[in-house]
This record gives sequence, C-alpha cells and structure tokens, in this order.
Amino acid sequence: MISVGVIGLGRMGMLHLMNCLKLDGVKVISVADSSKKALKKAKSVGVKNVYADYHDLLKNSSDIDTVVMSLPNFLHLEAIQLALEAGLDVFTEKPMANNVEECRKIVKLVEKSGRKFMVGHCMRFVDAVEKMKKALDKGSIGSLEVTTIEEITNGPFSYGRIPAPVSDWWFDPKKSGGGALIDIGYHMIDLFRFFAGDARVDFSRLDYKFNLPVEDGAIVMLSSSGSSAKGIINVGWYQKSTFPKYNFRVILHGNAGFLSSDDLVPRNLYFHALKEGSKNFLRRIVGKKIRPLSYTYYYESFYKELEHFFDCVSKDFDPLVSATDGLKTIEIIQEAYEKFRRECVN
Amino acid sequence: MNSIVSLVRTRYSLESIRSSISESVNLINFNLDSSIKSVVIKPNLCYYWDAATGQTTDPQLVSGIIDFIREKCGKHVDIKVAEADASAMRTKYAFTVLGYKKLAREKNVELFNLSNDHLEEKIVMVGKHELKFQVPQLLLNCDLFINVPKLKVMRETKITCAMKNIFGCIGFPRKVIYHKYLDEAIVGINRLLRPHFTIVDGLIALGRFPVKLGLIMAGVDPFSVDWVASQILGYTPSKVRFLKIAMKDGIKNPEGIATRGASVAEFKKNLQKPKFTSSTYWQNAQSRLLKMYCKVVGDVVPPLLDEA
Repeated sequence: MISVGVIGLGRMGMLHLMNCLKLDGVKVISVADSSKKALKKAKSVGVKNVYADYHDLLKNSSDIDTVVMSLPNFLHLEAIQLALEAGLDVFTEKPMANNVEECRKIVKLVEKSGRKFMVGHCMRFVDAVEKMKKALDKGSIGSLEVTTIEEITNGPFSYGRIPAPVSDWWFDPKKSGGGALIDIGYHMIDLFRFFAGDARVDFSRLDYKFNLPVEDGAIVMLSSSGSSAKGIINVGWYQKSTFPKYNFRVILHGNAGFLSSDDLVPRNLYFHALKEGSKNFLRRIVGKKIRPLSYTYYYESFYKELEHFFDCVSKDFDPLVSATDGLKTIEIIQEAYEKFRRECVN
Repeated sequence: MNSIVSLVRTRYSLESIRSSISESVNLINFNLDSSIKSVVIKPNLCYYWDAATGQTTDPQLVSGIIDFIREKCGKHVDIKVAEADASAMRTKYAFTVLGYKKLAREKNVELFNLSNDHLEEKIVMVGKHELKFQVPQLLLNCDLFINVPKLKVMRETKITCAMKNIFGCIGFPRKVIYHKYLDEAIVGINRLLRPHFTIVDGLIALGRFPVKLGLIMAGVDPFSVDWVASQILGYTPSKVRFLKIAMKDGIKNPEGIATRGASVAEFKKNLQKPKFTSSTYWQNAQSRLLKMYCKVVGDVVPPLLDEA
C-alpha cells in the first residue's frame, strides 16, 4: 500500500485526491490546502491528517511515501525540493517549474534523491493521443512530416459551476512563468516531443489581446531535431468555451496518410457518458473496480497518469515522463518567449 | 415617468456610434447641460468575455458616450466609468482585459470599482422577500448616472438589459447569493438605484449566438427599456418574471411605453431566441443524473467537484 499526501486542493488537486481514492494500493493519509472548505471535504472522504500549510504536511511526513502536488507554478521548486529532501516520491502538476533555471535545479535534485518523480503531462495519457502514437510507431501514416496541435479554451477564465474569482498569481509573470503558452502550450509542446522527439523553435508569436502582463494566445512553429517533422502549436485563452465542448485537436500528417484526434473521440459525449456510466454501474454490481468516464469529462487521462505513476512507485519502474521531459518542454517554451521578444518586441 | 424608448440603427464605427448616441438621446427628449459636473457611466462588465461575444458593453459605445457628454456638458465634467466586482469577476482585471483601461487613458476618465466605494446597507421588501443591498454612494451622489447595459439573453432571467445592469451595481461582490431570488433582487435594487437614463449596447447582441445587430437604444425608465428589449429578443415582456414582479409592485406600468426611431420588428427578425427551457431542463437533468450516478457508483465527476 502506497501512503500518499496530496498538496494543494484546488480544482486539479481535488481531482487528483478523488482519483487517488479510486486507485488500488493507494491510501491518502494527509492533505494540505489553505482552504478550510477543501480540507473539510478531504476529511469527509476519510483523509486522516489535514494541514492548512503544506510545510506542516512535509514536516510530519513520516507516515507517507509519496506526495501529489497541485500548487501554483511559483511554489513548485520549493515544494518539490522539500518533498524530495523528506525522502518522498513526487508527482507534480505541470509546468515542472516557471523557468529553465528552476527546472535544472529540479533535475539535479531528482537525480541526487533517487526518488520517483513525474510531472503531470496528462495529455500523453489521453486515449486518442495514445492511439495516434501507437499508429505512428507502427508506421501507419509513413514518416511524420507535419503535426498540428491546438487547444483554445478559457484558460484561467473558465467559469465554474460555483463562480469564483481567478487567482492573482495567474497574471503575474514572475509567479506564473507566463500565460497561455506555459499553461496550455506546455502540454501541446510536450505532445510534439512525444510524437517527433526533441525540437527547436522556428517561429514564435504571442498575443496580448487582453492587455495583461501575460500572453493570452500563442502560435509556435517547431522543428524536430531528429527528423524532418515540423510542428504547429496554436494555443489560446480567449475563447468562451462551454462544457462539454472541448476545442483540442492533434493532426498528424505523414507521407502515407494522416490521423486526427477528432476522429477518435465519441460523436455524442452525453450518450457516451451514459454508456460509460452504465458500464460502471454494472461493474459495481458485480463487485469490480469502476473506471473513469473516458473522454466525457476529460479526467480519464488524469486518472491514468496517476495510475501509471503509482505503478512505477510500487514496481520500481521509471515513469514515462521524467524531470528531463519537464526541463526540455520548459526550454522550448523559454526559447519561444525569447524569440518573440527578440523579433517582435525590440 | 418618461416611457419613451428610442431605437437607432448604427454602423460599427466611432463616428456612426457618436451620431447614433446623440440621435437616440434626442429622441427620448433628455436634456443635458453645463450644470452637470459629475457623471458616472455604468457598463455591463459581468465577466472577461469581450463585446464581440455579446456578453459585455463595448468600450467603443462608452467612448462615444464620453464624447457626447463632453460636447453637451463641457470638457471639464468629471466622468467615471464604474463597475462592481462580481462573484467570479474582478473589475481590476475586467477593465484591463475588456479594453477599458486603454479607453480611460485615451479619454482621460477615471475607472472606478463600486465595491471599493462607501457602501450603504439598505433593506427593501419585494413580495415576501426582505432583501439587503450594499449601495455604492457614488451612484446616489453624482449629477448624472448613465446605465449602459448590453442587450442579451440570460438563462435565469430570460433577458438581461437595463434593470439587470443595475443589479451589477451592488457593491457586495458575491452576488451569486441573490440568485435564488434573482428576479426579486433585480426589482429591489432598481427601487434604490435609478439611473438618469439608459443607453443600450445592441451593437452586438446575444441571442442564441452573438449577432451584429447595430442597435443603440435609449430610455429614461429602465423598466420601459427592458419591456422593449424583451420584444427585440423574442420574449413576451409580460412573461419576463422580473418585469412581471415590477408591474405587481405597482410602480411600473407598461401602458404608455412608446418607441421612437426604428421599429422593434426591424431588429427582432435578426435575433434567434435560444431554447432555454430545454437547455435549462437538460442542464438540470444532467446535473441530477451525474449526482445520482456518483451516489450509486461511488464515482466523482469533475464538474461536481466545484460544489464540494
């Protein structure tokens, strides 16, 4: 049994907590968050120790093996360092840190600690993406030439069922590391690396429609370092999107064909939810473990990434996403920021 | 009470907007003069979605209103563009994101957060409901209070225009607490706060989708403006609940409402009404099903985590 502490219980942290509760061989012992309401919720689902400050959780970590972190970006480095120094395995939400310097420190800390470490590159675990990767690796579309990856959302402006203001740190570049590019672009760039390997930036344009200190849109073109593959990354925070619509797609153009993620998701999400929900109902009746509702609520990938991480912890494998993946993604993002500043701002 | 509502067609250029504002205000016989020293303009900045989505007031229209006021009242009139924080919206970001900070710089006007004003607590009874409101003093003490709502539909109230934009003036940010009796709250706050006149942003209106409607409406009485607005948006005004409550209240009477300028039909034909009955039903049914599913199966579904 892996004993877990969950640090940060915002929207993502709460989702991770709930997924931990569903996973076999995992027990959540402690949680930390500044919100009393979130801690109360954690207590109600059986978590024994609750802390208003994550430092206290880490100081009292003798009964846990692993932490799952979903903190604001600017707290990642410090929290990861403290957790590794406390001898814990660490799963952290993306981005690994706000800049290359911090990421390099984390890579060194992970190497020194010898602990399991994984960054939440959840998009690699999306069913459609996994299927596309398998098909590409089998050679189904020949050699990869161009990859288009895009996600346009509300970003931090997404309007929850219970309205709450957006936290200030999102708009402070020192705390967030940037805007749409480091937020959503992080996943898209990681996906390009997933399909085409390491990359360099050919073109970078950032948009500031919202007049905020951080960008609300970005278009970045990448070249694979190891092949002729090119990537077009298009991300934005500017679209008023309504649940369950999800403006995300990957298109892989090969010289023998193409694959689109749009062809791999259910046409009617409500019907799909009903179908998946009924399956879970039957699983429950026969005493089997339930599975997350695939696609419909976009949380299957979060479940799968945690499942993979805990598998690696218990079976002593290296996670699919390493600290180096986090560093390389941030290196590309920083290169894109610098290229834009060099070519368009000065 | 002046129950005239003017409807003026405009093009999307500052020049055309300026002349349409002037025309619409002239049509309602509202006179502005140099005795006016302080003006507050209240746009609808309910969230960070800009005017093109049909959700918030276009800064171009507010820009035209500022020019119009200076032309009529003199260059040195003190103009404030005011909005209050809302449950999910903070004015400091909305002013920036929606282009009002730039407008304030260009037009040399002040942006004002009504939630930071001196707030006076007032109680009103609407039907059986005793409602408490935090009323910003700025709106009671200025010489001219101009209400500049967006013309749009809203699931909870069918339409949102002049009277609903006054609801946005409540200083207490967490206005979601009023949503259980939103119609009553709209009527209640409109008893306490009365704009001198309303200019409606119908440049891009929101029906089922955003529509380039090219309409500027004006009126002195917010109730009359909403009566006409609901017709344009495809609703029978007497079936819009907050208008019905206002009528029951006895202070509002649709008789005598007259339109000047363009006709309602001219704009109505361009708007497609959303099917809120079915969408509300569907959304509630979905939420109930999810809750039931989670209870029976022991699963957790992200949209419901917000309610935790």
